Amino acid sequence: MKHFWTVMLKELRESFRDRRTVMMALVFSPLLTPLLMMGIITLSAKKETEKLEKELVLAIAGQEHAPNLVAWLRGQGVKVKTPPRDIEAAIRNQDEDAILSIDAGYGKAWRANKPAEVEIVHDSSRMYAGTVVKRVENLLDNYGRITGTLRLVVRGVHPNVIAPLRVAHHDVATPEAKQGMALMFLPYILLLGAFLGGAYIAIDATAGERERQSLEPLLANPVSREAIMSGKMGAAAVFALLSVLLTMLAFKLSFMLMPSNTAGITFDLAWSNIAKLFLVTAPVAILGTAIFTVVSANSKTVKEAQSWFGVLMLLPMIPTIVLMVSPVKDKLWMFLVPFLGQNQMLVRVLRGQAVSGTEWAVGLAGAALACVLLWVFASRLYRREQLAISA
Amino acid sequence: MIHVEGLHKRFKTKTGDVIAVDDVGFTAENGQITGLLGPNGAGKTTTLRMLYTLMQPDSGHITVDGLDVARDATAVRRSLAVLPDARGVYKRLTARENIRYFGQLHGLDDATINARLQHLASALEMNDFLDRRTEGFSQGQRTKTAIARALIHDPRNVILDEPTNGLDVMTTRGLRRFLQGLRVAGHCVLFSTHIMQEVAALCDHIVVIAKGRVVAQGSAGDLREQSGESNLEDAFVKIIGSEEGLLA
Repeated sequence: MKHFWTVMLKELRESFRDRRTVMMALVFSPLLTPLLMMGIITLSAKKETEKLEKELVLAIAGQEHAPNLVAWLRGQGVKVKTPPRDIEAAIRNQDEDAILSIDAGYGKAWRANKPAEVEIVHDSSRMYAGTVVKRVENLLDNYGRITGTLRLVVRGVHPNVIAPLRVAHHDVATPEAKQGMALMFLPYILLLGAFLGGAYIAIDATAGERERQSLEPLLANPVSREAIMSGKMGAAAVFALLSVLLTMLAFKLSFMLMPSNTAGITFDLAWSNIAKLFLVTAPVAILGTAIFTVVSANSKTVKEAQSWFGVLMLLPMIPTIVLMVSPVKDKLWMFLVPFLGQNQMLVRVLRGQAVSGTEWAVGLAGAALACVLLWVFASRLYRREQLAISA
Repeated sequence: MIHVEGLHKRFKTKTGDVIAVDDVGFTAENGQITGLLGPNGAGKTTTLRMLYTLMQPDSGHITVDGLDVARDATAVRRSLAVLPDARGVYKRLTARENIRYFGQLHGLDDATINARLQHLASALEMNDFLDRRTEGFSQGQRTKTAIARALIHDPRNVILDEPTNGLDVMTTRGLRRFLQGLRVAGHCVLFSTHIMQEVAALCDHIVVIAKGRVVAQGSAGDLREQSGESNLEDAFVKIIGSEEGLLA
């Protein structure tokens, strides 16, 4: 146990002196993601409100066929302008978000009490045009409803006759869950951060020492290889946990800096939730260091070990991707599966839902079991003769 | 005291088995400097690695101070100082931190480490660079740091793999004086080399290895007598059977 601390402290001291590692693990990755997310949310919210509140400028073709409709639209604050010659080209070139085209038979159909045809020309693959299309649709809807109601009243029919249903929404989503969409990728970031946060140290402490040939004198000391390996893993885990903690603090801070009610949501990450998220991600950090220690013990150089990065990075993501494609209800066994269980718990905590005692126990036990198995596997690799001999 | 008997070690490679050590046996006494002399690739490093427990012999028997290496590996490591072929000094730590780390791994307390450190630093003349990070150290400074690190627990037996490799004349002479000091203090010093001057200048007992086998052993005088050559260098060449891999 004493040797574990000695090795761990030495690895930490060495790592903290490596400015590149410290910057990557403790500055860039924890700060970059929250900043990026905050920027994206603020920007998209700003764009959205701009589109909603800005004066709607609408090009209408065939205005002469429906002067009343055009006048009504003007009355609703729409700035009507003449359309370009080639309507479809204007949409395709993104000169206009949407163009309203009124059919030549509009007046005739209107007078005959038949549905009169109007057409919204738009490109549905252009996301940003969606707001404009929606606004035009709403306006036309209103116009149609008002006219329809008036027609019924004129004929002495109560408008309720054509409204047999009244649909109301009762939303039971928790305030936290309403942040849901925006926080969707927080589990990813936390899982990946915990998983990879200590990877560089784990690789450097085993494959790096091997490459620099310092493992041979180290293993000639009267210390068990398990103690040396555990100390190295401990140092990597400390780095990973620090990285996760800093990531969450950066999120908390960026939420505090974000103007409240951005995109209709007030973002917050409660301290109690930070504690819970940390408890969930801690085993992932240890799991990550164990996996990268196994990989490193099998690699002669840092480069060789790092070549595993791309593949292993997918590991924490696979369960979440599978769930995204085919969502299923939470079952208890899921909590036993490493990464999947952590993901479910992270989502629950972020949505403000309760995680039961059994689920906590199963989730932590699953991760702990995986950690122990990997530790045993890594220590077997560590006991191999080739490990100390690099050249 | 280190006693070796009938050591064998073979490696599996892609192109077939390679016999690195094929019947090596000798005794390195306390208060003596024993030299393992042989050309490159003779099996010196592999032999030493088996001595300091990082490799297991396929057959043969090693005892250090009467302790069986195969059975009491940890106890053996406690009574050994090891300078491997690759010095493996930590670049981001200072020389002092490097030495202290190994002291702690040997379970020494701070006072003992400090006292030993002071003694070794002055014996090896390393006070000038003791508190500098070893990144950018010269070969000599790195070797001295690694030797001090290996000797921090003051073990009876000292194993060094090519200790003067890459050192300049002044540093080599200093190191020789240091090894002679260890002999006077009653340590068992065993080192490997392919440099004949070195064995001639230092060794009480010489073990000549070629192609994984001990081809001759004894004092410098014994070897001269055995080969019938009056010049030590000629004696070595005659014993080994070729000049390849040796340095005068």
